[in-house]
Amino acid sequence: MSGRRPLSRPARFALGVVPMLAVLAWWQRQAAAGGSGGIAFASLGDIARAAGEQIANGALQTDAVATLSHALIGLAIGATLGLATGIAMALSAWAERLLGPLLQALRQVPMIGWLPLIALWFGTGEQSQIIVVVMAAFFPAMLNAHAGVGQVEKRLIEVGHVFGLTWGQRLRLILLPAALPMLLTGLTQALAFAWIAAIGTEILMGSGAGLGVTLQVAQTQQRLDLVFVSVAATAVLGFLLNHSIRRLRAWLLHWQPAGI
Amino acid sequence: MSIEAQLHHPAPSAAEPVRGALAISGLNKSFAIGGQPRPVLENIDLVVRPGEFVSIVGASGCGKSTLLRLIVGLDDDYAGEIRLDGDRVTGTSLDRGIVFQDHRLFPWMTLEENVGLALINTGVPKAQRARIVAEHIALVNLKGFEKAYPHQLSGGMAQRAAIARALVTEPRLLLLDEPLGALDALTRVHVQNELQRIWMAQRSTMVMVTHDVEEALYLGDRVIVMSPNPGRIRRIVEVDLPHPRDRRSPLLHRLKDEILAELTAGPEADRAPGETSNLVRLPAREER
Repeated sequence: MSGRRPLSRPARFALGVVPMLAVLAWWQRQAAAGGSGGIAFASLGDIARAAGEQIANGALQTDAVATLSHALIGLAIGATLGLATGIAMALSAWAERLLGPLLQALRQVPMIGWLPLIALWFGTGEQSQIIVVVMAAFFPAMLNAHAGVGQVEKRLIEVGHVFGLTWGQRLRLILLPAALPMLLTGLTQALAFAWIAAIGTEILMGSGAGLGVTLQVAQTQQRLDLVFVSVAATAVLGFLLNHSIRRLRAWLLHWQPAGI
Repeated sequence: MSIEAQLHHPAPSAAEPVRGALAISGLNKSFAIGGQPRPVLENIDLVVRPGEFVSIVGASGCGKSTLLRLIVGLDDDYAGEIRLDGDRVTGTSLDRGIVFQDHRLFPWMTLEENVGLALINTGVPKAQRARIVAEHIALVNLKGFEKAYPHQLSGGMAQRAAIARALVTEPRLLLLDEPLGALDALTRVHVQNELQRIWMAQRSTMVMVTHDVEEALYLGDRVIVMSPNPGRIRRIVEVDLPHPRDRRSPLLHRLKDEILAELTAGPEADRAPGETSNLVRLPAREER
């Protein structure tokens, strides 16, 4: 984009912080206004105090670890299965015919639609929560891998034929690297879905530890300050996860020209 | 003998290689278009001597690129015979290299990784590969760019890298499919000179498709003129001049006028011969 001037690092940071501060200021005003506003908004001081307590007694850390492990274990399993399935379907007409219709049909059921069934079969414990996360992560990974490997340009594959590469070599040296941008897009989307699913299942099935569980409990106890602590922790952790995956992407795709 | 030695002491023509004889006989090829077979190549007979440089020119749709795809083995669906040193061509082989119009370097590999890729299924011992790759990068004058990614190279550099990649396996036959078609005029002349130098050093058989008649004549021992719909060999022009050649040679200019007259005076194109441009006007290539 030619019309854009690059910003210095401090300027970029400052610009990112400005809207956050604005939201907090507005928040504090609402909380201080009292009346109906004061009920719906805990003051920043109350929230900070609640956060301090949660950290001091270790509850916040336990919740964060629990939610992160639900999300990441589910992501690891779901994205791996999804990428492998998508790649297999792109490589083999057999796999595509065998799995394609079934998966396309299953995909139409929103994540939340599975909850009653899964709760019935597996209970509402951690196992069920992770199963939902696995399913949430599976589909975006599968779809992007399928499209990515399926769309590798024929002209590049031909080069592999000219140099007598075996099937395995073509997969490893041409198809997968050429599809890598799409595989990473799949992974990024899978992460977003996994994070939503992890928090969502905790809220809906909630037992044990987790940011979503605490959120749900705090809501029933009318502890607005605790609700906001959980929401903020979710936002910060989600942001960090997304940021890590963007860094991973930039590192793996260093061979791409800048600006793509 | 290393490439460096070959460069400085080109093999005398008497010691030309005995390998790399291409023989095409009775070749016919058609594509199914709308369920109807449409012939693209008809009764192609061609013998290329070992170490010879043959250029093929012709208008768009004369099947010249298709012919190269058949020779390199990317398409086996044809009638007739293609033989290299007596053996029938089936599928691709490291004996037959190709340079495409688009360089087709892998964007995720550095220049030296791209060139080295060509060697992975050769018998060349691993210990020697790095040296051979470095020699071929030097051969196309890209020393210092070993670690560059394709997007960091200019069009001419990328095309030279593709030539190095095609040569590194020392194919008996090198096919060049409009290798300089995408380059600007100045770069083009430069890479033509390099191509001539490399060919004189390596003396492998080369068959180049081009739509630039001047380029065809400058590099080719013979120029095959093809006519379209369906593709046929119309005429074979001997260019009886030693290499390296002088672009100003009167013979080259006379032959150029003749070939252009031939190409432009087709049954459907009744233009006056001797057009000023040396390019047969073509639409952008269809293959992408």
